[in-house]
Amino acid sequence: MRWTSRIRFLFLMPAVLWVLAFTVFPLGYSLYLSFVKIDQTTSVTRVKEPVLDEAGQPVLKSDGTPRTRNVVIKDQTNVTTFVGWNNFARMRSDPQLHEAIRVSLVFVFVAVPLELVLGFLLAVLFNRKLFGRPFFRTVMILPIFATPIAVAYSFFTIFYEEGGPLGWTGVPWLSDPGWALFSVILVDIWQWTPFCFLVFLAALQGVPDELIEAARIDGAGALDLLWRILLPVLQPTIVIVLLLRLAEALKLFDIPFAMTGGGPGVATQPYSLFAFRTGLRFFDLGYASAMAFVLLIVVSIVVTLFFRRLRQTYG
Amino acid sequence: MRRHGHVLNGTMTALALTAVLYGPQAGAGEHVDWNDDGTVTLKLGPEYDDRRITVPQEQLGALFGPEEQPFEDVTISVTVNGAGPNGGISGPLYSFRPIWEELSGGKVEIVELPFAEHYTKMMLDLRNGTGQYDAFMVGAFWYGDIAPAGYGFEIGELMDSGDFPQWSYDVMPPSLKTLHHWGDAAYGVLNDADGQVLYYRRSVLEDPEHQAAFKAEYGYDMPVPPATWQQLLDISKYFNGKNWDEHDAEPDSGTVLHLKVGEQGHYHFQSLSASFVVNPGDAVDRTHNVYWFDPTDMTPLINGPGHVKALEFLQALHETGPAAQVGWSLGEAWDYFLRGKAVFVYSWGDVGALCQDESRSVVRGDCASAQLPGSDEYYDMTRKEFVAADPPNVVGNTTGGSWHGVVSNFSANPEAAYSFLALMAIEPVSKMMAMYGWDGVDPGFSYQFLEKDGGTAKVEDYVAAGWDAKDAEDYTHAYKELFYAPTSLTYLRIPGSFEYWDILDKNLSAAMSGSKTAQQALDDTAAAWEPVTKRIGRESQLKDYQEAIGYAP
Repeated sequence: MRWTSRIRFLFLMPAVLWVLAFTVFPLGYSLYLSFVKIDQTTSVTRVKEPVLDEAGQPVLKSDGTPRTRNVVIKDQTNVTTFVGWNNFARMRSDPQLHEAIRVSLVFVFVAVPLELVLGFLLAVLFNRKLFGRPFFRTVMILPIFATPIAVAYSFFTIFYEEGGPLGWTGVPWLSDPGWALFSVILVDIWQWTPFCFLVFLAALQGVPDELIEAARIDGAGALDLLWRILLPVLQPTIVIVLLLRLAEALKLFDIPFAMTGGGPGVATQPYSLFAFRTGLRFFDLGYASAMAFVLLIVVSIVVTLFFRRLRQTYG
Repeated sequence: MRRHGHVLNGTMTALALTAVLYGPQAGAGEHVDWNDDGTVTLKLGPEYDDRRITVPQEQLGALFGPEEQPFEDVTISVTVNGAGPNGGISGPLYSFRPIWEELSGGKVEIVELPFAEHYTKMMLDLRNGTGQYDAFMVGAFWYGDIAPAGYGFEIGELMDSGDFPQWSYDVMPPSLKTLHHWGDAAYGVLNDADGQVLYYRRSVLEDPEHQAAFKAEYGYDMPVPPATWQQLLDISKYFNGKNWDEHDAEPDSGTVLHLKVGEQGHYHFQSLSASFVVNPGDAVDRTHNVYWFDPTDMTPLINGPGHVKALEFLQALHETGPAAQVGWSLGEAWDYFLRGKAVFVYSWGDVGALCQDESRSVVRGDCASAQLPGSDEYYDMTRKEFVAADPPNVVGNTTGGSWHGVVSNFSANPEAAYSFLALMAIEPVSKMMAMYGWDGVDPGFSYQFLEKDGGTAKVEDYVAAGWDAKDAEDYTHAYKELFYAPTSLTYLRIPGSFEYWDILDKNLSAAMSGSKTAQQALDDTAAAWEPVTKRIGRESQLKDYQEAIGYAP
């Protein structure tokens, strides 16, 4: 191999190292964590040493004795015990986890289809010539650029039941378990429908005008155009958008974290929030890692199935 | 238990007054004046009304002096719940930072962390032994995760050395003193004292028209304050939905609660349920003075009949307040009371102090306080049945975090960190901080109680700080009664306390929002506590629990 061929590996090396350090290693380590229990013991010894001045002489207290300071010598020992599939087995009998899965599934099956349908309808609408279309199109996509945590706090204010902008409705937006989940879904729809809209609009603008005109000449009505032309042509785009939104929705975290704290009760605590709390609030790292891996496997299966379907359809 | 520190003598205490000194000064600084008469004046900012606190030089310890900067070039970092420079618990750190920096030559980094993340960040630092933070403003319920693991720095030696600002545990009621220790070892530096008392609208309850109408409806005189929770519920029902407050034309509420999940809702349950659950007795045994677990085997008691009845009671009480309070944090519930919208709130000392702040409160001078009522029945754990309590079963509490500083055992500068925390613990500083509502530092120490309650404070001290005299008398008396109650709710501070409470909190929230019955919620809590106990280790948990509640097997 000539040196000019070899050098490309050198150029690839930073990326490879990056992936190894920040993707492969954490993945492997969390897999390891899910099979072990780590008990930590800490012993700290403190040694008193004299405080010295700039000249290296001991600093004396007012009574003439030398001033001392504590210096820490720490010794931490981790005792690792292999626990096999225990952490995965716990998932079968944990009612808190089952509730979190229920919340996630309700969220995914309600929010994602609505975002896709609304995004598609808006894209169809904005694909026509409308007054002020560029302005409204820009406004439409603004929510995508907002930080989810900030969005969640803003909506917390909007949904505030005593004196908030929607307080007059009398709807218990955040205090009723059902309404609270609906509110979380509403915020997600508000933020992510524009993403669907943007992608669909781009795809729609790529549909050749000749195709539409030919269909019209053949007598196709609006519904025929939608069902027989636009949806089939846009199917790969729809699948990609669906896939991206599914993967994101399954990882829902920030909106309930900031807006409802997962409550009332656990009515808005999705899977990822529960895993986060288990691992990083209560340091049950093995169980949290097991949960994270199960989620990874589920998302991977969903993605694989979709891509397989996509390949079968479009070769 | 070992005694630490030095109790100030009368002369020193008398010198510790708040006044501006205009006399000749040996060293006048921006934040500290070293006076010729051997005193030192600490100069506070506008958040404390530009107060001047003058103390004898000895009270600041031997290290500080006009020519001394013992921690020059040292930087310490202190974590605290994020509430900003004018917020609860974090605010005083900002106020005393420039003073300590001028005294010591060191620097303080205040690391504000959201409440939900503070524990996590602290534990990550401690578990990894990184020593990124020198001290933490902790809640007492974190001790079980800090002290037994060796993460906390024992401060007894520093207290006894005489080198640092002088304060003492002797000013604390035993119930609070315990929360600053683990076994005999001292970790916590005095700051805040938490416990829930009842606040009520004095003039509204005493109004003759309401008195007569209440009697006609309920068949007995409205007691002021209510002696039992059952009476409180009746009164709360009576006032709920009526426009009894003149500040607006809208209907007002009975009792307002802060019930948001992940925050302080479960404390309401703890304080209230204690009088339905805790069996009074001379000692802690299997059925007396216990609340959380069976002290012989760590079986959860949380779903017992007393707890369930208390939760059903809390659900009924919730019906007398705004429905939205299920999602309310402290601030929202407190403001509701301060705006004159609820006749009762039971909460921490902040409310009493905030009542006096007329920029937030319309109830100054009408903000009465009392120890929490008792229950007229409780579940007798020995006889396995409810028994009538006459007089009512009144149970004190130290509910809350009693937020205070603990030095990290991994700190490279524990002396400097302790020195900063101790500066805020000296008597005149602590006394002043408890009089202000915004700073989150609540009363509980002897110099904050009035003389008639066995303390050393005078009502004039509070009046001078802007308090209504009657409000101040009620308030300090309520806290004295609370912290010295013969029967008190035991404090859960064993490894995993935060997790036990989190599980309880979520289930309580589900019950309060109507998605679970009281029995379901508490059964689910008990079921979810078992795996936590099992995971951490039943034997070690049992040992720590017995020690924490003073149970001798």
